[in-house]
Amino acid sequence: PIGDLLDRASQRSDKLHSLSTTLTQELDSHFPPIGRAIMPRPSMCHTSSLQTPNDKEQALQVSESDLLSLARSLLKSWADPLVILSVSANTLPHPAQSTISNKLQELQEHTKNLGDGLDVLSGKMGPAAQTVSFLPYSGGNDIGQDRLSKLANFHFLLSCFRRDSHKIDSFLKVLRCRAAKMQPEMC
Amino acid sequence: SPPGKPTLTSCRSPEKETFTCWWEPGSDGGLPTTYRLFYLKENIETVYECPDYLTAGENSCFFSKNNTSIWVNYNITVVATNELGSTMSDPVDIDVMYIVMPHPPEKVLVSVLEDKDWPFLRVSWEPPQKADTRSGWITLVYEVRIKLEEKDDWEVHLAGQQRVFNIFSLLSGGTYIVQVRCKPDHGFWSEWSSSTYVKVPNYFHRENSV
Repeated sequence: PIGDLLDRASQRSDKLHSLSTTLTQELDSHFPPIGRAIMPRPSMCHTSSLQTPNDKEQALQVSESDLLSLARSLLKSWADPLVILSVSANTLPHPAQSTISNKLQELQEHTKNLGDGLDVLSGKMGPAAQTVSFLPYSGGNDIGQDRLSKLANFHFLLSCFRRDSHKIDSFLKVLRCRAAKMQPEMC
Repeated sequence: SPPGKPTLTSCRSPEKETFTCWWEPGSDGGLPTTYRLFYLKENIETVYECPDYLTAGENSCFFSKNNTSIWVNYNITVVATNELGSTMSDPVDIDVMYIVMPHPPEKVLVSVLEDKDWPFLRVSWEPPQKADTRSGWITLVYEVRIKLEEKDDWEVHLAGQQRVFNIFSLLSGGTYIVQVRCKPDHGFWSEWSSSTYVKVPNYFHRENSV
């Protein structure tokens, strides 16, 4: 049933966001904010064109299929950038480079697993849930020439993923509680 | 002299719907000093001023639901002003999704029940009233801690999302203190709830459970 699928999906999205938080902390541990502040970098995430709710009232007014469509669109939009992050991690000028690289592999696997699960779920939630917005990443494969710009751009891309994974997690948990109407103790 | 530099000390949201920021004044330069909080919202040029200096008490700014967006970066600065000049705090960037710290759980009840002549404690509670767990907008996990009244060391149990927790292996005749706290899936632990005391009846086994 959909409730179980949503339960599992929200556990995976929870894990995905936690992973992105751990990765950010790993990165921050050796990359002071000052270094980031002075670096020019893109000001907007590549997913910012997607209109998503920005508070509880808006989120609770979105239909189930639209919430799932938003979550899938966000997740699918990270397929390519995660590859770029993963490739860049191999040569990242950072003391915790190998840890970051391993964590990114884990992140990619979790993203794929969650994506597969949401594909199955959307198949059970009607045509509107099948809609996926195309959010191209136009940042190119190369995240920077010198050490500081590499780190700043890497950090920025990761911060975008962290935010989007939190959105995905929030949307799926709202969906999960809607599906759990018959089991009030679940939410 | 002009006022000293104020410091933004923290910003917290209790339920992912509103948030509050607090600051520490610097020196007042021996003159009456006023404090104002200004903020920028991601990709918006407008400079906003704190919408509510009163609700959360002195040296604070409260952002109501209408003034709170999640997944949006707020760049916040406090300005101290007296008749000889103004001094700005360092700016702080926040996103509400990272500053959620709920109030403690409420209605903590502890009852002594029996299972085949063995007493055990059933602890139950409610989520903090403001946190809307029902819609799924916020997901809370809980921790229960217990100790004998006269002891110092707590025994801590992670209760996950459930709101009932049973505790076994009790000391016959012991008086226990129980507290509960909660945390959003991605955020900070609340304070512990106030203490609930419970006395375990005497039963033939005297075992030290805690």
